[in-house]
Amino acid sequence: MKKAIAWFDDRLPIFSYMKKNLVEFKEPKNLNWMWTFGSLAGIALVIQILSGVFLAMHYKPDVNLAFDSIQQIMRNVDGGWIIRNMHAVGASFFFAVVYLHIGRGMYYGSYKAPREVMWWMGIILFFLMMATAFMGYVLPWGQMSYWGAKVITNLFSVIPFVGEDVVVWLWGGFNVGDPTLNRFYALHYLVPFIIVGVVILHIWAVHHKHSNNPTGKTLKKKTDFVPFHPYYTAKDTVGLSVYLIIFCFMLFFMPDYLGHTDNYIPANPIQTPPHIVPEWYFLPFYAILRAIPIKEIGVIAMGISIAILFVLPWLDRSKVVSGRYRPIFKWMFLVFVLNFFVLGWVGSKPPEGIYVLISRISTAVYFSYYLLLPFISKFEKTKPEHETL
Amino acid sequence: MKKIIFTLAVSLVFSASAFASSGNEVEKQEWSFNKLTANWEKDKIKRGYTVATQVCINCHSFKYVSHRNLMEVGFSEVEAMAMAATMDTKINKPLLSALEPTDAKDSFGKIPPDLSVINKAREGGADYVYAILTGYPEEIPIDFEGANYNTAFAGHNIAMPAPLSEDLIEYEDGTPATIEQMAHDVAYFLQWTAEPELLKRKKLGTYVLVYLFIFAILAILVNRRIWARLKK
Ligand code: HEC
Repeated sequence: MKKAIAWFDDRLPIFSYMKKNLVEFKEPKNLNWMWTFGSLAGIALVIQILSGVFLAMHYKPDVNLAFDSIQQIMRNVDGGWIIRNMHAVGASFFFAVVYLHIGRGMYYGSYKAPREVMWWMGIILFFLMMATAFMGYVLPWGQMSYWGAKVITNLFSVIPFVGEDVVVWLWGGFNVGDPTLNRFYALHYLVPFIIVGVVILHIWAVHHKHSNNPTGKTLKKKTDFVPFHPYYTAKDTVGLSVYLIIFCFMLFFMPDYLGHTDNYIPANPIQTPPHIVPEWYFLPFYAILRAIPIKEIGVIAMGISIAILFVLPWLDRSKVVSGRYRPIFKWMFLVFVLNFFVLGWVGSKPPEGIYVLISRISTAVYFSYYLLLPFISKFEKTKPEHETL
Repeated sequence: MKKIIFTLAVSLVFSASAFASSGNEVEKQEWSFNKLTANWEKDKIKRGYTVATQVCINCHSFKYVSHRNLMEVGFSEVEAMAMAATMDTKINKPLLSALEPTDAKDSFGKIPPDLSVINKAREGGADYVYAILTGYPEEIPIDFEGANYNTAFAGHNIAMPAPLSEDLIEYEDGTPATIEQMAHDVAYFLQWTAEPELLKRKKLGTYVLVYLFIFAILAILVNRRIWARLKK
């Protein structure tokens, strides 16, 4: 067996490559638990793809059959309800993990030199994930699927001159309908594999310049590192087991908690639901969209609210990488995160009365983080960084 | 970092409770299916089935349910076939209402929704269905204008006339057919039709969680051991 592997590896060094990148790869030895979310995100992606492939074997992308086919999966396919709940709950957990992963990067300055390109790959991944999740949510063809698709695709109508045509082009008709569902299904199956590709680039970049670490310092000493296996395989397994406990709790005891009851009502183009709300993981951005009374500007603000992450490495001018040593940044970041929850909460509320005001204030707070950062980071007095690990 | 994590955790708990939206006048009932060890109770399903197939089916369909499904909750094939026969249908046929959608529209202004997954399609689930069915008060507000007054329905104006009345049907097992009893039984039945896997799911989930707890403890021990090497 060994000989056969060596023979193969000599011709296509896939085994030594995997060994180098997944086993012997050197990681800083001081990574804390916040660093487990990277590998958890990878596992969440694999869970989505595997469960998704099995769902695809039974799902029917047809406006007259889609809703029924989900019920067929839940009732008549062996283990169908597990797979389906796993996929639905798994999407939420994927986002939760990725939000934590991004938050960790923002706090510990993982976006700073020399990791900007790695950071970009991450943002691209986030965009791709959002596109995939959005299209996936349309597939069950419930009320929220339909109306969510309608609201979000309609945003493209703000594009000057060609907006309306773009929307018709996206729909493949003059309304969200059968062609829309079909193409969303095709893309929902395709994009995850593009995600896999970008994940490889993302990890490649990480391995090229090494992982950041809680001190943010560039580590040079050999003793500062440990091989990925067994140290971080063991640590990430602990992270995974805790993740699986929470995941399985949701999966087996409250699989519909994170979803919307309206999505168990078949899509009805002539009956608008009282409140159209996206999935929880889109709510902060949805709140920004609605906070601004002019639709065009709202759409742009929503786009920028995420795209601004691309320039974050240059907005932050502090020489100190890790938030640990940055007393003002630390509190700014805390306010940013808390405000993000407020945005999410207000995004789930109808856009009326006090909620409008709250959404405007927290939209302002959201952007002020990025606007203040260049100045604060320049003048902030940082604490001395620890010398040794 | 510790302080930050703590503040985050606290705010998470708060925001989670804020996300759980409030319903209208829906009181929580006791449901045996909420118990972890519960099985679907055959006699309750039978009573709920009786209400569903003698009352509700005049207007509503249950398109994901056939008599064969009853065999999953303890009915024998012979029983299921006999029940199908009394309804002039076959064991594999879905339970569909004879009411035409156009006729329904003429009579009620609305098409009665399919009830198979209704408990999942409404905030409050079985509690909500119970509240709707028992939510027709004898005295309605004098300023009410509309078809039928219902305390639980959003806006209170529901197109469905009160479907239940005292002793509307006769239970085979002799249980008195009060409105509350029938509402409870049919809401229980609808929980089963909405998620037949519910009880299986929770039981399997318990085993999975126990397994994962053991796995987590082992993982923690292994992890400690491995990192202890570094200290030497
Ligand atoms: C006479 C016809 C009729 C009968 C019998 C009937 N319903 Fe209805 N039902 C309706 C109509 C019409 C609606 C639509 C109400 C609306 O949207 O205003 C409805 C709606 C409902 C709803 C949904 C309410 C909502 O939130 O939208 C439930 C639940 C329901 N019925 C349960 C039952 C049950 C359980 C029974 C049997 C005990 C039953 N119905 C018997 C006509 C009927």
